[in-house]
Amino acid sequence: MNYAMALNYQNCINCKACETACKEENGVQLGADKQRIWVGINEGVIFGKPYINLYPSQCNHCIDAPCVGVCPTFASHYVDGGIVKVDPSKCILCKGCMEACPYDARFVDDTMVSVDKCTFCDHRIDEYGTTACQATCPTKVRMFGDLDDEECDLVKLLKTKKFFFQKEDLDTLPKLFYIVPEDEVYARQSISRNTTIHTWDEFKEKYDAAKDKRSKEWKK
Amino acid sequence: MKVEISRRRFLQGSVALSVLGGTSISATNILADKSEKKQISNKLLKNIPTACEMCVNKCAAIAKVKNGVVVKLDPNPYFPKSKNMLCARGDAGIHALYDPDRLKYPLIRIGERGDGKYKRVSWDEAYEYIKEKLVKIVDEEKDNRSCIGYCAGEGMAEHTFKTFMADKFGSSNFVNHASICLQTVVSGYALTIGGYGLSDLENAKYVIMGGANRAEAIITPDTMDLFKRTRGRGAKLVVLDPRFTNTAIHADRYLPIKTGTDLAFVLAMTYHVISKEIYDRKYVENNFSGFEEYKRHILENKYTPKWAEKITGIKAKEIEEIAEEFMAYAPQSIYYQGRRTTWGKNDFQLRRAQAIFTALGGSIDVKGGIIFGKKLPLAPHEINVPLYGNSKERIEKNAAAIIGGSGSWIAWRNMIVEGKTPYPIRGMFVYKQNPMLSVPNTKKTKEMFNKMDLVVVIDTMPSDTAMMADVILPECTYLEREDPIKSFSGAEPAILLRQKVIDPMYETKPVIEIMHGLAKKLSKPLWEITKKYDEDIKEELADLGKDETQEDYYEENGFNLADAFEESQEEINKHMFVPKYGEKAWKELRKKGVFYPKMDEYFEKIDNNTFKYYPENKKYYTTVKLENECDLNFIDTCVNPKDVAELKREFKTQSKKIQCYLGGMKKRGIDPMPTWHDKDFVEVPDGKFKFISGRHAQFTQNSTQNNIMLLELMRENYVWINDKEAKKLGIKFGDLVEVKSSVGSVKIKAYPTAKIIPQTIFYIHGFGAKSTGLTFAHRNGASDNEIIEDKIEPVFGSARMHETLVTVRKV
Repeated sequence: MNYAMALNYQNCINCKACETACKEENGVQLGADKQRIWVGINEGVIFGKPYINLYPSQCNHCIDAPCVGVCPTFASHYVDGGIVKVDPSKCILCKGCMEACPYDARFVDDTMVSVDKCTFCDHRIDEYGTTACQATCPTKVRMFGDLDDEECDLVKLLKTKKFFFQKEDLDTLPKLFYIVPEDEVYARQSISRNTTIHTWDEFKEKYDAAKDKRSKEWKK
Repeated sequence: MKVEISRRRFLQGSVALSVLGGTSISATNILADKSEKKQISNKLLKNIPTACEMCVNKCAAIAKVKNGVVVKLDPNPYFPKSKNMLCARGDAGIHALYDPDRLKYPLIRIGERGDGKYKRVSWDEAYEYIKEKLVKIVDEEKDNRSCIGYCAGEGMAEHTFKTFMADKFGSSNFVNHASICLQTVVSGYALTIGGYGLSDLENAKYVIMGGANRAEAIITPDTMDLFKRTRGRGAKLVVLDPRFTNTAIHADRYLPIKTGTDLAFVLAMTYHVISKEIYDRKYVENNFSGFEEYKRHILENKYTPKWAEKITGIKAKEIEEIAEEFMAYAPQSIYYQGRRTTWGKNDFQLRRAQAIFTALGGSIDVKGGIIFGKKLPLAPHEINVPLYGNSKERIEKNAAAIIGGSGSWIAWRNMIVEGKTPYPIRGMFVYKQNPMLSVPNTKKTKEMFNKMDLVVVIDTMPSDTAMMADVILPECTYLEREDPIKSFSGAEPAILLRQKVIDPMYETKPVIEIMHGLAKKLSKPLWEITKKYDEDIKEELADLGKDETQEDYYEENGFNLADAFEESQEEINKHMFVPKYGEKAWKELRKKGVFYPKMDEYFEKIDNNTFKYYPENKKYYTTVKLENECDLNFIDTCVNPKDVAELKREFKTQSKKIQCYLGGMKKRGIDPMPTWHDKDFVEVPDGKFKFISGRHAQFTQNSTQNNIMLLELMRENYVWINDKEAKKLGIKFGDLVEVKSSVGSVKIKAYPTAKIIPQTIFYIHGFGAKSTGLTFAHRNGASDNEIIEDKIEPVFGSARMHETLVTVRKV
């Protein structure tokens, strides 16, 4: 198993249902800066006309996650399916992982006295087959699934689309797949020129190899 | 809010209060507590389907209950209207249930109105208090039941309250949200095309949204259908809005239109398609009434795109292009109706113009256009309605051309404040509405309440309006009650049930039980008053046969006010459902929360995001009666929507056709056809701004203002001001500014941005509560209705919320 998430970010309307569902599902500490999941906003004015691009986001559950490597107490760890988690009883709040994370996906939960982050709702995968954020989304931005399962909806989707990653050049092998808009105009508006565009066939081998190497560390 | 409670009562209540203490942060925190964790096991886990009430959409939800505590609300995939989603507000419903500020027991005022001093009483004491005051008032008013006004917010149980106040108690003075919300658009479309209809955004190829903001004012299924198809994925979207909204992000064309000029834009597009003859001529020939007059009217008034350019600020060429594109995609093009349309004086005419323009493309009653859908029938629930000879007509019936059953809030209130009512309005019952924040000109609303001898508020939260009450009756939240069953029309119709998830907390009750308790208390004393003043009843009672008693007459003629509320809501729902669909379906409905015929067969999960509810050929896209019955067969096999559109059909309008000309309106002094009047347009003088209001996706009007989960998404509202103008005024982000109109002023933080046009400012409705009972909402930002002037439009007496001129000053 190798869990991942595809984001059809073109659907996003920034309604923040995902943020709220996440907090309710996982009992995340209240507070605007205590988010396991968020909508990234890129806003500006071009030739006097306003524009906004929305990039819904969360932890990338990178295969080579820098936050795991940097943790001195092994509080940050991988579990089955390549999900990156934090063991609150081991966390000493050194915040090294927060520095190491390229996506700013971690924060301090004061109620747990520990660093906290997205868990891909691993406690509900068996029951619901998906995360709280995917289930609640009005416009269905997200698609959660297992990259190893050729029959799962996520892989079926990725096989038909092109996709890109955020900050891919850092080589952490992130697993949030941003689906490239089929309409070229809209693709150009929301993806920078330097971004690498992938297809399933060329991507699979690299990720499979990385996974094979890493998955020994994945705790059951 | 201060609540005085005696020592004994305090001890009684302390159990409930301690539970409350635990829930004040997060419902899930209770579960994280170690001492409790052991007790909780999955044995006590229940999933109960219900319906959300965090806004008006009524999405299907599943409540997860652990040990009697609601721990999560999940979307229910079975409902075709909400399509397996819950928005932020729906997710945060738990915090409406466990809000520490909830009204927990009946309260009677002991201080001045508005100062929040109340004492806790029993339900019986509260009913007794109401009875004494009400009987005195009704007696003094000689059984004119209309001397008590009442208002209600939208909701599944609104009609239970109305049944009591209108049908049983007998008052005609009802006001609800319509005149401050959607009256003009609903009636505008109904009179023109025979119904408000539903925009089929799942299939439309070209959509113009003027002012409507479906990304931030979520409407199901419109929001979900549209934004999966925008940005080059099948639906072209044109957005007209003075503000660059989240809807505008998805627009292929965003037009920053000058506030209040939409009618000129629509008329110019109409001019262009008529003069170029690019409308659907066959459809018009078959289905229009008064088209020749409309054509002449449009052409003679020279509503050219050039003319509109000067008014709207949109280039003539762009208007022409949009009109041409619209017709090219027709009949799968829609000028979206809109929802909260209390904008300006010409709003009714704007909505008519939109409807006619859409119809010119043949896009009414056809897939991808505006459809009427089907509604699954429910058996009627009958009520024995008494007749009162002395109940008078509503006070503001002449305030506008047509005052319907839901009244004109502003006209109604102003008559009371100005003392111009034909008979006194002595009291008011408020259910689930918060006119102190929702009706323009708050000062006057306060004055109105202060003039009343009895104000009763039924609500879940100590709103600003509750603070004006003499008696507060605590209703339970939607998760603690069963509500009247509801049938939803659409291309994919379904029936939805809101089931009780947990028992009502504290001493709260569902409104049906409140009405029952009140009716039992009031029934006999009020009957005595009717017998005293009602001549007809006096006569009839005198003529009673020997074997008939007065008691029999009282029961048989509905004067027993409690008889409508004897059955539980569950029983009533069963009686409405089972005769039509049977016992088995009833069990299925209670299990799944949703029902429609052949659901078992039709419903299919395609993936975690996609569900199929009806097969394509079973959806109700075209439902209006066709003139030739044989055309029906033609529809099933037809592939070209244009052919379907052009069939001759019967609309539910007066002429059974699309009605361009409303002769009846002319008699009432209203333009029979949409007409632009320069004098009706409010120009913005130098140094002033036009104020507009609106919504966003994290709050529902002012009803969710105290929800801590939502407050962290937006703590307070900010006033949007054009960045260049802000610079001139020396206003920076976060500066406190004073916004002042002729009726009031507020202080609010500034948000200078390029996303709003000059001369217009905006802030979101629903903030600025002054009730001290709302710990988290208290004085967050500003309330729009403190500064909106209380002007009404001439057709329905609806509010004109976007015509107030204000000044902005840094303080």
